[in-house]
Amino acid sequence: MVNVTLKVNGKTRSASVPPETTLLRMLREQFDLTGAKLGCDVGDCGACTVIVDGKPVNSCLMLAGQADGRDVLTIEGLADAEHLHPLQKLFEHFGSLQCGFCGPGVIMSAKALLDENSDPSTDEIRDALGGNLCRCTGYAKMIEAIKGAGCIMRGEQVPAVK
Amino acid sequence: MKRRGRGMATMWYPIGFTVAANPSAAVVKVNEDGTATLLTGTVETGQGSLTILAQIVAQELGIATDDVHVVSADTDSTPMDTGAIASRTTYVTGNAARLAAEKAKMTLFEVAAPLLGVRTTQLEALDHKIVVKGFPQRNMHVGDVANHARMVSGQPPIGAASFNPETVALDPETGQGKPFGTYVYATQIAEVDVDDETGETEVLRIVASHDCGTAINPMLVEGQVEGGISMGVGFALEEEILFDANGRQINPNLTNYIMPTSLDMPEVEVDIVDNYDPTGPFGAKGVGEPTLVPTAAAIANAIFDAVGVRVTSLPATSEKVFKLLQAKREQQPKQLGSSPASLPSGGNGAPAH
Amino acid sequence: MADERSKVADKPDILEKPDILRVPAPAPLVTFPVDVVVPEGRQQTPAVGQRASRADGRLHGLGQTKYIDDMYFPNMLFAKIKRAGVASAIIKSVDTKEAAAMPGVVAIITGRDIPCNSFGPSLKDQPVLADTRVFHAGDGVAAVAAETEQIATEALEKIKVEYEVLKPVLDPLESLKLETPGIHAPSANIYGHKIIKKGDVEKAFKESDHIFEGTFRTQMVEHVPLEPHATIAQWDANGRVTIYSTLGRITLGRADVGRTLGIPMSRVRIVATVVGGNFGGKNEITTEPALALLSKMTGRPVKCTFTRPEEFYASTTRHPLIMEYKTGVTKQGKILGRKIRLILDGGAYCSWSETTLGKACILSAGPYNIDNLEAEAFVVYTNKTMTGAMRGFGAPQVCFAYESHMDDIAHALGIDPIDIRLLNAFEEGSISPTGQKLHSVVAKESILRAAKMFGWNGMDNGNGTGAKA
Repeated sequence: MVNVTLKVNGKTRSASVPPETTLLRMLREQFDLTGAKLGCDVGDCGACTVIVDGKPVNSCLMLAGQADGRDVLTIEGLADAEHLHPLQKLFEHFGSLQCGFCGPGVIMSAKALLDENSDPSTDEIRDALGGNLCRCTGYAKMIEAIKGAGCIMRGEQVPAVK
Repeated sequence: MKRRGRGMATMWYPIGFTVAANPSAAVVKVNEDGTATLLTGTVETGQGSLTILAQIVAQELGIATDDVHVVSADTDSTPMDTGAIASRTTYVTGNAARLAAEKAKMTLFEVAAPLLGVRTTQLEALDHKIVVKGFPQRNMHVGDVANHARMVSGQPPIGAASFNPETVALDPETGQGKPFGTYVYATQIAEVDVDDETGETEVLRIVASHDCGTAINPMLVEGQVEGGISMGVGFALEEEILFDANGRQINPNLTNYIMPTSLDMPEVEVDIVDNYDPTGPFGAKGVGEPTLVPTAAAIANAIFDAVGVRVTSLPATSEKVFKLLQAKREQQPKQLGSSPASLPSGGNGAPAH
Repeated sequence: MADERSKVADKPDILEKPDILRVPAPAPLVTFPVDVVVPEGRQQTPAVGQRASRADGRLHGLGQTKYIDDMYFPNMLFAKIKRAGVASAIIKSVDTKEAAAMPGVVAIITGRDIPCNSFGPSLKDQPVLADTRVFHAGDGVAAVAAETEQIATEALEKIKVEYEVLKPVLDPLESLKLETPGIHAPSANIYGHKIIKKGDVEKAFKESDHIFEGTFRTQMVEHVPLEPHATIAQWDANGRVTIYSTLGRITLGRADVGRTLGIPMSRVRIVATVVGGNFGGKNEITTEPALALLSKMTGRPVKCTFTRPEEFYASTTRHPLIMEYKTGVTKQGKILGRKIRLILDGGAYCSWSETTLGKACILSAGPYNIDNLEAEAFVVYTNKTMTGAMRGFGAPQVCFAYESHMDDIAHALGIDPIDIRLLNAFEEGSISPTGQKLHSVVAKESILRAAKMFGWNGMDNGNGTGAKA
């Protein structure tokens, strides 16, 4: 067993897990944070994307031990007691998610992008989502919502839906 | 050199099962404050069916979508449903839900009619009120009627109904009959760039004009079209399950089974054709499957327009198109330069801008 | 109440003053942020036609939607299925002793343990777990329930199966030949046939100015739902089993579980949550009866999730099609007659092939007025992954064929692809290939609207130059 202590959504958490446990499984099974999903378990689909030390990461490819001492942000850490994150607000408003399974991963990838660049072009958004597979939506309404969230974060008006 | 091409495809697609009975049942309960609950056996698989069904029930009862809570997918507590399959949910389950709401509404009318001094046939439900037709100022709030129904009249407004499309079995020798209640129609046009040296196709833009009867929720229809097209692009250009000589799959994983990512998606423009089908709930038909039906054909036709080769098997991978281009060049007498005039008849795609 | 609501509806909650992002303070995780307003689209009457947002949309974005794999029950076991790995074989023996002895392995079952080991939406030719024969490499031959997923997966390696390997038939054209031995003998390899006949197609060909032929093929593809198949089974002390499943057709699923396990339907409850994508691939039972049995044997809830590779080789796929078209036209491009032959690769089991066969055959002529038509379709067994329901049921395949074919005709005759379709397409009241009078037809409208939106201005204009005679 390995002992892991890390920050998850701003809170210090600890777990004792078998060494082959991935960050994904530790989040889901030890910490009850089931937002990050198991879609393939080998880093192909991005449904497990979380943010580690500010960078988006396939949590199925990171061992729990490698996350020791790090700062992890999951989908559950985006909204605060008063507000949805602008991404969550606009994903809902624009109908960007259908079955929702890829949603947490996509939103985390998008957040990582917007934190670095709050005015991304369509191509930059497509690039940021390149590792997140979605079978339902065709990505179109996600791109619209991410652009709109960028507007909100820059303090601008969100353009109306075309 | 990249060559630009355009291609179109038109399709038709049926709603519901082929001939076979595929009923859906629904129950609508109106609460004492005029909001409602819908019980349906359908399973939400991402397409947004529960929202559509809430909108249909809300429309029938004259209340808002948010006033209808949908309970689904439990064989103990929800009535049977043949399933979210064959694009049938809006049409078949939707009709069942509307009929169930109508029955619950009739109880509300029976209670409201004497209170408003009219017959039930003179009433309609709109904007949260039970209203006398032609005299909107003569009305009662639906919550007041529902409360009266339960507390005074002792008639809780509940409606249960089922629906099954009308079909006629197909003759075994000629196939003649009426297999489906209704069909939808659509056209997609694709614009592509094909690299005539590598055979690689990039889909730039797809315009999709889809019929779904009345669009209960245009935002969800757009979502279905955009998603269906992404599946269609994969079907056209990339996806294939490969087997070895022993019948084992070679690529059962997402590294080697190539499906579209955000980087592969074209610009999609969605158009919903104005239409109304009297056999559907408020004129609606369905849209779930039709959205991917014409995509591969439109792309294949666009490839032909761009570089003059006909792909007769899917997927139209770069290797396949490259080999077709090679074969085509070998058949040509030697040409000087590569201006459009020197290309043989059959697809003279202009160089991409 | 109504008045307050219309006030809120006047102010679009997104477009008013922008929401400056607050960096979340290290606060306890929230279940519901306080400020969330009901979106306008959901509050409007009349409800039909509104761009109403989905109730589950908010939960999805918060990561709160519970899919089956997100559900954990006390004392739960984890199950995995051993897959055959051979495409065609006779099962000589299954030895589970070594696996059963592994610490943490609680129960193992094989096909023999299933009371009624067959199911299927039409032909009941598919086993819950393969018992005497294997028909494709993804066939399940045993199911293991263990304390952890890891142990269950390791236990699969220790199950010894002895096969007499047979030569698999992989090519549908091979399977079509009468001399090929029946894969599911005594049933024939051709397990479905459909024919549509209208008018006199040979006469029409004689009267045609031109005849065109083309053969088209499509490949096997998979649904790839982001969420793999998942099931949890648990019993109560009254002998009722509750099965949580990604299954789409729960009413049929309940009947199947009742039938395969020999228990009355009133003792079976199937609950589906929001499913992470189906597209047709989750419309029949997979592990449900096996899990119910494992749960009964162990007295504990049992969960099974498919691995991503299992999604490919142990669940249904799209039928590959071979499509032969022959069309007779006038020199103006009017279709006088069309003859079609379709061969569907029907995989190891029937699954949804009957529906696919019927739809492919009926739709194969395209949305066109054709008075003289013959369309014949066959589905054959092969030793490949079972082909079942997938978004479109044969329509995407035949559309690829009939629309490529149409463009070939248009190009050869020097006609704009738009014009040749307008000449032939269905209208209100047209008669379908099966003699049905069509209503609510907007085929031509969709062509014209798409063309206008695209900017398709005749044959030589705009992007691309189109085919030129």
